[in-house]
Amino acid sequence: MNRKTKPLAKTLQIIVAILATIFAIYPIWFIILASGRSGDRLLTLNLAGMFLPTEWTWENYQYMIFTDPLLTWMKNSLMVAGLTTIACLFIATSAAFAFSRMRFYGREWGLVLFLAIQSFPGVLSLIPIAQLLTAVGGYAKHWGLILAYTTGTLIFTTMNLKGYFDTIPIDLEEAAMIDGCGPVQSFLLIALPLARPAIAVTALFAFMGGWGEYVLASVIIPAPELKKTVVVALYRLANEISVPWGHFAAGGVMVIVPVLIVFLFLQRYLEGGLTLGGVKG
Amino acid sequence: MAQWKGWRKALTVLAFIGPTLIGVLIFNIYPILFNTYISFTNRNRYHPNPDCSITLTSILEPTCWKVFEENRPTGLAEPFRIQEPLFANYSDLLGEFFSAPMLLNFLKIIVCFVPLIIAGQVNKSFGKRIERPLPTWVVTLGGILLALGLGYLLRFDLAVNQIAGSGDFFIVTFRSLLYVALCIPLFFIVGLALALLLNIPDLPGRTFFRVILIVPWAASTVAVMIALVWKFFFQEVGTINQLLAIIGITGKAWLQEPALAFGVCVFVNVWMSYPFFMVTILGALQSIPSELYEAAEVDGASWWQRLFGITLPLLRPAVIPVIVLSSITTFQMFGTVWALTGGGPSRGAGAPGATELVMVFAYKQVFQTSAYGRMGAFAVIMFIFLFGLTLYSLRLSRITKGAYE
Repeated sequence: MNRKTKPLAKTLQIIVAILATIFAIYPIWFIILASGRSGDRLLTLNLAGMFLPTEWTWENYQYMIFTDPLLTWMKNSLMVAGLTTIACLFIATSAAFAFSRMRFYGREWGLVLFLAIQSFPGVLSLIPIAQLLTAVGGYAKHWGLILAYTTGTLIFTTMNLKGYFDTIPIDLEEAAMIDGCGPVQSFLLIALPLARPAIAVTALFAFMGGWGEYVLASVIIPAPELKKTVVVALYRLANEISVPWGHFAAGGVMVIVPVLIVFLFLQRYLEGGLTLGGVKG
Repeated sequence: MAQWKGWRKALTVLAFIGPTLIGVLIFNIYPILFNTYISFTNRNRYHPNPDCSITLTSILEPTCWKVFEENRPTGLAEPFRIQEPLFANYSDLLGEFFSAPMLLNFLKIIVCFVPLIIAGQVNKSFGKRIERPLPTWVVTLGGILLALGLGYLLRFDLAVNQIAGSGDFFIVTFRSLLYVALCIPLFFIVGLALALLLNIPDLPGRTFFRVILIVPWAASTVAVMIALVWKFFFQEVGTINQLLAIIGITGKAWLQEPALAFGVCVFVNVWMSYPFFMVTILGALQSIPSELYEAAEVDGASWWQRLFGITLPLLRPAVIPVIVLSSITTFQMFGTVWALTGGGPSRGAGAPGATELVMVFAYKQVFQTSAYGRMGAFAVIMFIFLFGLTLYSLRLSRITKGAYE
């Protein structure tokens, strides 16, 4: 394996890598380009215009921010996703710890049940959930959406954190227990700090789940305009009869680019922190 | 943690898992129970409201509870009732499934897959021998040819068409299965190719490529937005057709032609999902000891032989769970397809559109036709199917085991 690669093979490898890169990032690059053009110019592009920012205007951003309430939508999404993440981690870490560390009756089939329940088609539980929220008065309110997201993400969060707790050697906690440490202390003082990478990744996914979710948000908060989350609002924009693609692109950049930055920033944790329901085997 | 027992232990465990349990009970188990109940009623747009005098309704319908009485919907429409016969929604969906010709058709389809299974088994048993009587690819190719031959003889397409013609349920299920069958191998091939590329130690800019190639994964967390961008690309006046026009080809109406729209859905899904496979495979590749490759090289094994003899078999344990997991999520794909095509292009009034996968179909039925009762039955059937698949996949992973086992 250590011998030098032939120059031809080497060139080929680099070409493939570059093509793959273009394939991977072109949609993102394009939406950034598109956000800097006025809408009608998008439909008559030359070759250079498809790949390079040959012109740039802030018009679309100005329109989205000052005419359309993009910032309000983003604030809504940020609040919903943020509170979902906090609530989710708060509730699920302890459950994950218990499922990983404690022996109790029904632990195993409880986990099986959790995973199997998740295979229930999400789209079809929309109606009961919407009904339940209507009954308790959470329909068309942000807290209703937060409640639905939090409980919807719980199983994934629990499973993922449990998978990571499993990889932490139990010896540390056993040593602590010999020194008189209770389960609560060993959870808070030993397991939690060690599980930081998994918590970071789980938080990332819980947040992204809330930030990018469309179906539930569109059912629970279909109106008014100022309460919508950003994805629902932009979806509506992209399905108007004459779509203002420039405006949509500007909104899209504001939604996608922060996500990318956070994701790439945390990507070194991905492999270790994401156990994805036992993928690590 | 075995030395503490009794009520103290019970209380501690409950304190740890209680909140999660309540959340799951209310927002996961309750919808399932409710859906199952609704699947036995005639709830639809003509009978939307609950009748709280029926015992089961008054228990499961939250607006029937005393506390939430003021939120109860009021309308002149008739309340929904339990179906007579009880399984009316189910038989409506499954149609003539249990009639003799349909079962025969199913049998034909299964028979067509038998050569592939046999080929797999033969390869497995050959793999245990020291000398292979036949190379792997010969057996696999033979299996595929035999399967195709059988398919031709038994009129595979006719059988599929007949089943698909017997109801929307089979059309959308088949289509979703086809979607999975097209997507998963592509995820794997693209993911494997890129993982192998990134695993080359002296690839210039390796770290850069590693980071940049997982961008679609990040983007897929806002799947609906990205799907809308792709929709713009594949429009009739979209970027793809502009690009084609520059090299002198007249583009197609990608999202208006059934087969092309389906292809676009597969393509976009591959774009979104390959990074997950890539990252998993890359992780597994790095755990393969390099001595194996060195030994193979000393024996004069070619690159392909090393790939099929060492890499792929050793990737198996890491990749199989990912494949099962991806199959389940791909089968239930909703947001991306919904944003791309909305289930269309239409194939006539009332019939499901060309890209109407199971969840798109369910969504349309619920929110556009208000067929709650029928879709309840649909959900239950899907759930049984997916539940079984999930239980099977659990056998492949250790997730339900504790840390001490």
